[in-house]
Amino acid sequence: MARVTWTRRRALAAAAAALAAPHVRAAGAGQPKVVVVGGGAGGATAARYLVQGGGLDVTLVEPTRAYYSCFFSNLHIGGLRSMASLAHDYGRIAAEGVEVIHDTAIAIDRDRREVGLAGGVVLPYDRLVLSPGVDFVEGAVPGWDITQAGRMPHAYKSAGDQTELLKAQIEAMPEGGLYCMIAPPNPYRCPPAPYERISMVAHRLKQINPTAKILIADPKDHYSKQALFEEAWDKYYGGMITRLGPDFGGDVVSVDPGAMEVDIDGEVNRVDVCNVIPAMKAGWICDRAGLTEGDWAPVMPVTMQSRIDESIHVLGDAADQGDMPKAAFAATGQAKAAAMAVRAALLGARAFPPRYANACWSFLAPDDVVKLADTFRAGEEKIERVDRVISQMNEDPALRRRNAEEAVAWYDAITADIFG
Amino acid sequence: MGLSPVVGRRGRRAGGFTASGLALVLSLAALPARAGGDLELGAWLAGECITCHRDGAAERGIPPIAGWPEEAFAAEMRAYRSGGRLHALMQMLAGRLSDEEIAALAAWFAAQE
Repeated sequence: MARVTWTRRRALAAAAAALAAPHVRAAGAGQPKVVVVGGGAGGATAARYLVQGGGLDVTLVEPTRAYYSCFFSNLHIGGLRSMASLAHDYGRIAAEGVEVIHDTAIAIDRDRREVGLAGGVVLPYDRLVLSPGVDFVEGAVPGWDITQAGRMPHAYKSAGDQTELLKAQIEAMPEGGLYCMIAPPNPYRCPPAPYERISMVAHRLKQINPTAKILIADPKDHYSKQALFEEAWDKYYGGMITRLGPDFGGDVVSVDPGAMEVDIDGEVNRVDVCNVIPAMKAGWICDRAGLTEGDWAPVMPVTMQSRIDESIHVLGDAADQGDMPKAAFAATGQAKAAAMAVRAALLGARAFPPRYANACWSFLAPDDVVKLADTFRAGEEKIERVDRVISQMNEDPALRRRNAEEAVAWYDAITADIFG
Repeated sequence: MGLSPVVGRRGRRAGGFTASGLALVLSLAALPARAGGDLELGAWLAGECITCHRDGAAERGIPPIAGWPEEAFAAEMRAYRSGGRLHALMQMLAGRLSDEEIAALAAWFAAQE
């Protein structure tokens, strides 16, 4: 712990030294201060629910001015949605009374309860909410690091340049070319998303390059909605998609971005596109703040408070909370529970037992969508799954079309809930 | 199958809060007492609903539920809970609501118009 504190202090000092006169916000009179780091599904939702009802000074720290949702970005790759349709800004959140600062949090001094920003501002807090999303585990795929993302894109954070690059590479594939995905090990953001992406890539290639092939190297034995995906791939994209699980060496993979080669258990494949989705971990600020055990930040199930520091709540993908998937829907529910807990602790507001849920829709084809929904409860040790509903194989196409309409309505609703 | 005739299309979307239904939290004190539910409990529980049900949404896909009369809303939820109304996901979500919680949600959503 001492070492962590020293590192933290040192980082904050370095941040401060970067500017001649760092501006420390006055922590004195006035309302309790809550700082939220990260303006994605968890953080933006938390900021809105924290400020509702008044009584708190809420500051949201997010580097980007426009948020392009990772969720639904597969549909852009498939040609079903524009990039602009994935864009959201923070104007309404600011209008609701949240101070939105476009900067990067680089250090957290837990003893002083201060967050240091790259621009030199230091924000004091009574409670801190961290929702930094995921980062990639260095060295997870031998031969690949983030500097190679221009050759072998991940396209697995906020949508944007990486998504556009991957889409352009797919559309520029030679006739009969090969797209390869290096799928991630568990746990990772949005469990069905790599396989929805495969469906959307196949849909696009079927239109423009029908003799192209898709290869997946996958370290997992099983994956989310697997039977539903496999049924659809056979139905719509027969013969196009091959998945190599660990029984076929899908867990022993390295890449050579310069040569555009993928080595799967000793067999070298020349590829035209390689979509590397590496293993993931909590956004780095969690580790910097000494809030992680292993790759993730452990939290308490009722309030999403860090098990290491009770004045900090960790939301969404970065949190190790138990059974909930790392997904936008899950993050918004955790954000509401955390906001309620913070308002109860700082203002004496009423608090109710949290009740978590998650629903996700996956596009197999433009009019064929499957869904999975889970309910959860805050158990003693972790958030525990209670119940599940999932689409069945060989369902009525009309039902799948209605699912597609539900998915679009869900996107509009959740983004309105997150961004106002 | 229809969600009852009470759900009108409303173009209203002032200020963003009405869209999400959050404004209620601000105006709880000003609301008349409702016959049934605890509005603060309703506001909390509604957070789950509005992740999918957007105020002012088209009827396609997922219907808007803000502004429903209390009785109609409560009857719908009880029908999902009992399995009489079909939609596996809604049956699961309604299945864990008590009578008190359904009343709270019904009161809260009724107060949204």
